[in-house]
Amino acid sequence: MIQNKIKNGFIIAGLILLSVLYCYPIVLILINSFKIETAISTSTAFQLPTLETFAGFANYVQAIIANCFLTSLFYSLIITLTSVAAILLFTSMCAWFITRVASKWNKLLYYLFAFSMVVPFQMVMFTLSSTADALNLNNPFNIWIIYLGFGAGLAVFMFCGFMRSIPLEIEEASMMDGCTPLQTFFQIVFPILKPTMVSVGILEAMWIWNDYLLPTLVLDIKVYKTIPMLIQYFRGSYGRVEMGAMMASIILSILPIVLVYLIGQKHIIKGVTAGAVKG
Amino acid sequence: MEKALKKYTWVFIGPTLLAFIIGFILPFLQGLYLSMSQFTTVKNATFVGFSNFIRAIEDAEFLNSFQFTIAFAIAAVLLINVIAFIFALLLTRKLKGTNIFRTIFFMPNLIGGIVLGYIWQILINGVLALVSEPLLALNANAGYWGLILLTCWQQIGYMMIIYIAGLSNISEDILEAAMIDGAKGMQILWKVKIPMLMSSFTVCIFLTLTNAFKLYDQNLALTAGDPNKFTEMLALNITNTFYSRAGAQWKGIGQAKAVLFCILVVVIAMTQLRATRRKEVQS
Amino acid sequence: MKKILSLLFAFTAAIGMSGCGAEGETLQETGSVYYLNFKPEQDEAWQELAEDYTEKTGIPVTIVTAASGNYETTLMSEMGKSSAPTLFQVNGPIGLANWKDYAYDLSDSEFYGELTNESFALENGDEVAAVAYVVESYGIIANQTLLEAAGHSLDEIQSFEDLKQVSEDITARKDELGFAAFSSAGMDGSSDWRFKTHLANLPIYFEYQDENIQSTEKIQGTYLNEYRNIWDLYINNSTTEASMLAAKTGDDSRNEFLASEAVFFQNGSWEYGNLTGEGKFSDEDLVMIPIYIGVGDEANQGLNTGTENYWVVNKEADEKDIEATLDFMYWCVSSEEGTEALANEMGFVIPFENAQKSNNLFVQQDVAYTAEGKTPVSWNFTTMPSEEWKNGVGQALTAYAADQSDENWQKVEDAFINGWASEYALVNQN
Repeated sequence: MIQNKIKNGFIIAGLILLSVLYCYPIVLILINSFKIETAISTSTAFQLPTLETFAGFANYVQAIIANCFLTSLFYSLIITLTSVAAILLFTSMCAWFITRVASKWNKLLYYLFAFSMVVPFQMVMFTLSSTADALNLNNPFNIWIIYLGFGAGLAVFMFCGFMRSIPLEIEEASMMDGCTPLQTFFQIVFPILKPTMVSVGILEAMWIWNDYLLPTLVLDIKVYKTIPMLIQYFRGSYGRVEMGAMMASIILSILPIVLVYLIGQKHIIKGVTAGAVKG
Repeated sequence: MEKALKKYTWVFIGPTLLAFIIGFILPFLQGLYLSMSQFTTVKNATFVGFSNFIRAIEDAEFLNSFQFTIAFAIAAVLLINVIAFIFALLLTRKLKGTNIFRTIFFMPNLIGGIVLGYIWQILINGVLALVSEPLLALNANAGYWGLILLTCWQQIGYMMIIYIAGLSNISEDILEAAMIDGAKGMQILWKVKIPMLMSSFTVCIFLTLTNAFKLYDQNLALTAGDPNKFTEMLALNITNTFYSRAGAQWKGIGQAKAVLFCILVVVIAMTQLRATRRKEVQS
Repeated sequence: MKKILSLLFAFTAAIGMSGCGAEGETLQETGSVYYLNFKPEQDEAWQELAEDYTEKTGIPVTIVTAASGNYETTLMSEMGKSSAPTLFQVNGPIGLANWKDYAYDLSDSEFYGELTNESFALENGDEVAAVAYVVESYGIIANQTLLEAAGHSLDEIQSFEDLKQVSEDITARKDELGFAAFSSAGMDGSSDWRFKTHLANLPIYFEYQDENIQSTEKIQGTYLNEYRNIWDLYINNSTTEASMLAAKTGDDSRNEFLASEAVFFQNGSWEYGNLTGEGKFSDEDLVMIPIYIGVGDEANQGLNTGTENYWVVNKEADEKDIEATLDFMYWCVSSEEGTEALANEMGFVIPFENAQKSNNLFVQQDVAYTAEGKTPVSWNFTTMPSEEWKNGVGQALTAYAADQSDENWQKVEDAFINGWASEYALVNQN
């Protein structure tokens, strides 16, 4: 017993050390985001801000005012919310139909959805961006159609997995009572799906929120930049690098995610687990 | 019930199907056709047959990125899964603070690839400068291990969660039965836990493997292929062929590369699923 | 849900106030202009100019800036879209070759009629496909005050040997003086064009002079030793250790120069606005000298003067957008506000008849050099076969800076000579 306790003590000590290491990269950026631009370089990255190099919130102000961080945040939010909402609603309906109606076509569709999960984005990136452009899907308010199409695979797959495990009887009884399929779906099936909805929603939101290449190619870059695009823009397209504002933007972009994570932690971890088991 | 449902076919599958056609099927088929064409926009494509594929295979940089991706994928899949599994074992011992550790280890997963890449670029370059080694832009080894370190940091937490779920599904009875039979810790691990976790392994290996092959954002942000395209992975190589190369022939070659890439990923994913699923059945 | 909605509303309001909101694209009877700009240093000035123009005429002008390394990438993806740029840039004949199918014939435009010298236009058959709108000069910008503080004067520097002596003397007394000879030759993507493109122009220029050619499919690399010498001089007499150059940015280099940490800074007339003004340098402090590499008649060598900024109008664009674009271009190079902004705020020499003279110090120095009978070094880097070639040379230069061995220099030569031949072949097949 005592031996076990000592062992556990060592393990906990080890885990604490690992946790500190795990947080360190973010802490490093946090520290640098409070330094003046000239004090952020490879040779000075590990120095704490001194009186001379402390910038206060200047970098954050710069990121928010000059680099329009809030605008990007707004677009990222719009895109993520509309896309996830559309995916949850439409793919759950689609998945219900596929599992409840046995036909060759539905089987084919199911395999196509599964196939689309594996296909790398590079395969369709060029044609997708030109299609999106031609159909006027190149703005944050319409791009959800693209995300619904490209993200349907995972969602349908997970919903189908779950629906196979719920008994038919309740649905049949509801139909017997004279409900239309739509009523049955929204009154009976939809509520049962709630836990899976949370899982699917979380997985899709994580993907869409962080997605870089798709919005870069699809959105009208004259007007719209999502957060990942903004951060890449600091390095990529401007010729000069505003390191201070970039650090601040990195922290600002992590902040909402961490907040959401800490609040909804239980659901997120459950969601990941569910997604994996069904996958 | 099926009959009633069938009347509503388009209500239920219509929206998803339409978006799926726009967002996937159409671009996919068009992509297949364009891989055999020369084009600068979708409209001005002329059919050229398989010459794009030949030139894609002859492209030394493409082959290099292929090798680099394989080397990366092997190390990343092994390291992520082994470490994540160990973490999962440690965190299912009912220790104090398990939840906090789990929270911390999972967190990097929520951060996007571009942001992750820049965080690690600053960190790794700082460390390299400290020990006076060449920086990432010049240091192929640091680029390789940096990418692995970054993906480990990002994905270990995710896989750990899946392993934890698997481990907590193993019923106490089985473990007790094994103990009564005189099995020791290590034996329980190898003879009982691991065989019972085969489906978790299937999922985790599948996810890490496909993630490793498709890696793009992290690659772009951390090394962007430096030095001299040595750390350029397949996805980045293809995107660069498309958008950084001036000249009419490159888009066709890029699309051909993308088709090859697609086949590769699908074949690897299928083979892996089959191989580990078979193990699942045996146990 | 309500909370989320009210949050979104709050956001929209905040964005509206911060001036970050995007202007909605409305259907225009008059056409509109979308210019994909190549020069990040001038982005702000362009944005202001566009705003002025829109205020005056009601014609919307959108200007998006993508810097050198990413210009081609951005242009490529933007041109595939339905709202493609109406106005974009090519860097010379090589660049035009890729985009000639999109080039609107400018020969009848009002704009072309005012060009002072036809050599500033690029032709595609009988058509005028591209027109240079700016002429620039680059060289080594020197801080005269520091130079004198180090006990040297400008007159001493008339050749590469002189430059080397002065620089090495400063390096020898670096600690005592408190400054270095050269600002960091940063090889980050925001700065490496100064060396893989602009500095590399010199060996190419002198080889072209010898051979009496304008471009080539095979470079011989006659003057690569001299290229190595000047590169050695830059990186070994710098504010920064040579091995750290890989991550140094253009901003770092400029900041060092502004902070009087270095006497010399290789850059061009476009930097004038960044170097002068409140709390910065005045004209008396600064001078631009030719980049001597020890070849040819150094006594009569001038600054590197030329252009890599050619305007091309997208002929696939809407008729009325083309009209609007041509009007905008003409306004930029002929109106008072337009030329004022281009000449003074952006510091360009504008090769058009009604344009104002620039008050840019470096531009004036270039004129003075030419008046003294010195020959400007032309911009031959526009004939470099591709971006890939530049990147290859840049990579090799960076690697060499970190470890200055002969093998590593061999790799620079390899990228320079063999890279040229293979890239030329790749770009020009079918």
